[in-house]
Amino acid sequence: MKVSMKWLKQYADIPVSPAEYESRMVMTGTGVEGTEPVAPELEGVVVGKVLTCRDHENSDHLHVCTVDVGEAEPLQIVCGAPNVKEGILVPVARIGAKLPGGIVIKKGKLRGVESQGMLCSGPEIGVPVELYPSVGTAGLLIFNEDYPLGADVKPIFGLDDTVIDFEILANRPDCLSVWGVARETAAAMGTELKLPRIEVKEVGGDIHDFAKVDVLENELCPRYAAKVVKNVRIGESPAWLRQYLHAAGMRSINNMVDITNFVMLETGHPMHAFDLDKVRGRHIIVRKAAQGEKLTTLDGKEYALNGTELMICDEQGPTGLAGIMGGEESEITENTREVLFECASFDRASIRVTARSLGIRTEASGHFERGVSPATVMDALNRACQMVNELDAGDVVSGVIDCYPHPVQPVTLTVSCARMARRAGVEIAPEEMEEILKKLLFTVSRNGDEMVVTAPAFRQDMEQEADICEEVLRYAGYDRIPITHLRGETPMGGLNETGRREGELRRQLTGMGFYETMTFSFISPKSIALLGLPESDPRNQPLMIRNPLGEDTSCMRTTLLPGLLKTLATNIKNGNENGRVYEMGTIYDARNRTEDGLPTETHELVIGMYGDADFYAIRGVAEALCRQAGIAYTVETCDAPYLHPGRRAALISDGKPVALVGEMHPDTAEKFDLTGRVYLAWIDLPLFFSLSAPMGEVKPIARFPAVTRDLALVMKDSQQVGPLMAALRNGCGAMLEDIRMFDVFRGIQIGAGNKSVAFSLTFRAADHTLTDEEITRLTEKALKISKDQFGAVLRA
Amino acid sequence: MDIRENLAQIGEELRKELEGAEALAALDALRVKVLGKKGSLTALLRGMGQLSPEERPKMGQVINEAREKLTALLDEKQAELARKEKEARLAKEAIDVTEPRPVPPMGAEHPMNLVLNEVLDCFTSMGFSVVEGPEVELDLYNFELLNVPKNHPARDAQDTFYIDDNVVLRSQTSPVQARTMLKQKPPIRIVCPGRVFRADEVDATHSPVFHQIEGLVVDKDVTMADLKGTLDAFAKRLYGQDIEVRFRPSFFPFTEPSAEVDLTCFNCHGKGCRVCKGTGWIEVLGCGMVNPKVLEMCGIDSKVYSGFAFGIGVERITMLRYGIKDMRLLYEGDLRFLRQFR
Repeated sequence: MKVSMKWLKQYADIPVSPAEYESRMVMTGTGVEGTEPVAPELEGVVVGKVLTCRDHENSDHLHVCTVDVGEAEPLQIVCGAPNVKEGILVPVARIGAKLPGGIVIKKGKLRGVESQGMLCSGPEIGVPVELYPSVGTAGLLIFNEDYPLGADVKPIFGLDDTVIDFEILANRPDCLSVWGVARETAAAMGTELKLPRIEVKEVGGDIHDFAKVDVLENELCPRYAAKVVKNVRIGESPAWLRQYLHAAGMRSINNMVDITNFVMLETGHPMHAFDLDKVRGRHIIVRKAAQGEKLTTLDGKEYALNGTELMICDEQGPTGLAGIMGGEESEITENTREVLFECASFDRASIRVTARSLGIRTEASGHFERGVSPATVMDALNRACQMVNELDAGDVVSGVIDCYPHPVQPVTLTVSCARMARRAGVEIAPEEMEEILKKLLFTVSRNGDEMVVTAPAFRQDMEQEADICEEVLRYAGYDRIPITHLRGETPMGGLNETGRREGELRRQLTGMGFYETMTFSFISPKSIALLGLPESDPRNQPLMIRNPLGEDTSCMRTTLLPGLLKTLATNIKNGNENGRVYEMGTIYDARNRTEDGLPTETHELVIGMYGDADFYAIRGVAEALCRQAGIAYTVETCDAPYLHPGRRAALISDGKPVALVGEMHPDTAEKFDLTGRVYLAWIDLPLFFSLSAPMGEVKPIARFPAVTRDLALVMKDSQQVGPLMAALRNGCGAMLEDIRMFDVFRGIQIGAGNKSVAFSLTFRAADHTLTDEEITRLTEKALKISKDQFGAVLRA
Repeated sequence: MDIRENLAQIGEELRKELEGAEALAALDALRVKVLGKKGSLTALLRGMGQLSPEERPKMGQVINEAREKLTALLDEKQAELARKEKEARLAKEAIDVTEPRPVPPMGAEHPMNLVLNEVLDCFTSMGFSVVEGPEVELDLYNFELLNVPKNHPARDAQDTFYIDDNVVLRSQTSPVQARTMLKQKPPIRIVCPGRVFRADEVDATHSPVFHQIEGLVVDKDVTMADLKGTLDAFAKRLYGQDIEVRFRPSFFPFTEPSAEVDLTCFNCHGKGCRVCKGTGWIEVLGCGMVNPKVLEMCGIDSKVYSGFAFGIGVERITMLRYGIKDMRLLYEGDLRFLRQFR
């Protein structure tokens, strides 16, 4: 919300520095985005009079002028404008002057003649026609009035103003206006609020003889008020009005349109001016659009309507989109004789929906979406009529049309000073509260602790004591809130169970050299398809977003794998060696719903490695995590389609795959732009956590010695070692304390298609030293199991 | 020769030979030569038989004293040589300790989790429990119960992703508050970290996916000063004892009164710098007293209980903490970025 300081100061004094003013406004709840001069790039341009003007000897279009800028010596300036002549008053950019576009005027020679500055056109000094209508395009801007020579030109155009950009909070639409900001300013400064007294001179007649208004949608249009101006004298607005509009970033059109914009800026009430002759039947009807109805708005665009939009219509059809934009049909022109001013209040949701669906945003729709109070409509309408009087732009017809079937009642609240002070945690005396609220134009009657407070009509945000408390507190000062600590019983705080367990996993992975990554929760359904999961896999049916940013973020991820693979691809592409990354995050299952009907959300852990890695390294990571969690598992092959068919495994616990590990299938790797060998682990976290067991009692340290026997067994190359070791563990009983594999050998010595695997078996008894016979018996048992079940025999 | 002279000579010879001895083995030989069964001193003892009975004890004493002396000499030399030999071995074992060798790889948690861990540590130690809720959420919890009815302009400010008319990707962590209040009676003291979603295009300061930590306290007589105290403790714990909090009036539909919270700039400590744009303050979070309407909608008697809530943007405090200029780095997983964290 940009406000001209000149305009603002007309209604509230600001007796402090700009920085102090900003800080006072910020600390009372009116944010300030910044302050800027209206013409930041215009400096050193003054009024000058052309004393003499002769042709340049070396040019057929340049002139050499002497220019009086109010100093002892006139300046010699070379000028190429066709309209330069003796005696005119023009803007003169002196040496060192700054002009818009970053231009700095320097002393120079033009075709051999020295020039001590530049005579300026309107565009050169950033003055548009709405600031100086005779600015013309023919060349120099020639002043129509007398000004002291050497005077800065900025005040002439009203460019000596600054604009302050306020950040208005969503609950304060009333502050989207000069008056609103002035009210806050006066309260913050403790200065007098000097809003104009509104008085309208009417010329008689009866508005009802001129126009008729019917509102068919009272819910969407709680108030519609109109005044009529006859004998309209369309013309140019006075300079001050043009300058105010310019400072607010609006263009001057003509006096009647400017009045509506001026009133909107000043009061926050958008208005519309209709050429009454062009309102067919002189009858305004506020209704919903008929389906398929069409309207051409002021900006010449045609819209087809779907039937939900609130329209301003006449007897033959739509003339405007209510609260958003007027129609071309009833636009004010030079020939307009009679004007109907509309000032209304529309339902903000309806305006919002229409503006969004048609893709139009105007100043007016912005105001209505934020909320315009029906209670203050008449002030704005009368202010417009007062301006008509002031600008002598027409004659205001007596009477008003005011469709306002359910007037908004003022909000009156009974509040407790003590309770409000307690809520704020600040000692604020009831007297001070009363004073603050009065300063904010509330009506207050206080009886000890109890106050009956009536909010001013422009405030729509007062609903309860807490709201009053905030009003009091922001003017008592948020800085006065002391620092206190929570009392009462301190509950036992802490992480939730999942958070704690996942934290442990993160720390373990950190210790193993892995970096955590995070990717978006939404991905492309195509990237799931690239994994090549069986059609029946539920991960192929993700939850779709209705309004995604794009296809690549259009569904909720059913697995973290695509995100991880993208991260791995990025790192490989960037040449980062030895990648070790993981992501732990939420996946969304659209098919299983919670009791709220929401998709089930669970967590998944995916780990990726490349570079210094192989299948056994990634399997080791998954195994380490399982062991650390106390999960017993066996390793079996698996059929995950995105993994290498000969290098993929599942860690099976309790019959279920708690982890899948393996090298990426080259086909899948290629689809994800991965080069080189990449290793993945996938961990089903809910299963992982359900299987993990807390540590139990420790075992006593063995008191009797262990005996180790190494066995090299020859077996078929296709024979998996895992099941053999599992069988030995089972078969040899408790005395086999440990079994390790320490070597695998392949060579012609042991026959093609065979391998020799060396194991180290550690035997120990808990209660005695093993005898030679016992050890021999155990070793023979191991050999028998190997031979009988796996065809593995002792290497010769 | 007099025994004394002999002793002196033996001592003299031994000293001389010890000086030249450089190896422990040579020393052992010397020990045998003097003190051994056939050693020179042993020979003197044997010669004692020729002495008179009066002289014998005297000379015995003299010889024993000499023996002790010589033994001490030998022991001393032995210790010296042993020390020297060890020194020589250690010198030989010296390596270039500056040569680079592989270091066991250590990873790191995501920077946002590093910061989140600190934040959660801080609040859990103040008695807050961590609670999480669904990311795909009912409109009811994300908006309605938080005093943001349908078509409220506040819904525009945070362009929401929809699954259908009633289901959204939560645009804030506040629905966890609503869920908790509906389930649990006061006193409530929770923090809710989590992922939230808004339809913003990706750029250096925006992401359609980001993280918040929401805090909620509901109890009897909870005041805005308690809120300030809680956030003050948080700020000092995270950024240092000289950090102050400043409240500025603000507006949120679910709190009244509401405040934006600035912290003393932890880069310049309030002097004014580029990070704080010269103001000495950094806007870090929003907070306020829970709107009584929200309490009532969630089944808590607002006449008996009051509460406060606050919301912190995890990306923002992470970026501030580590001087990260581009939010995209947090989601790209580039190891050149991640390997800087510990």
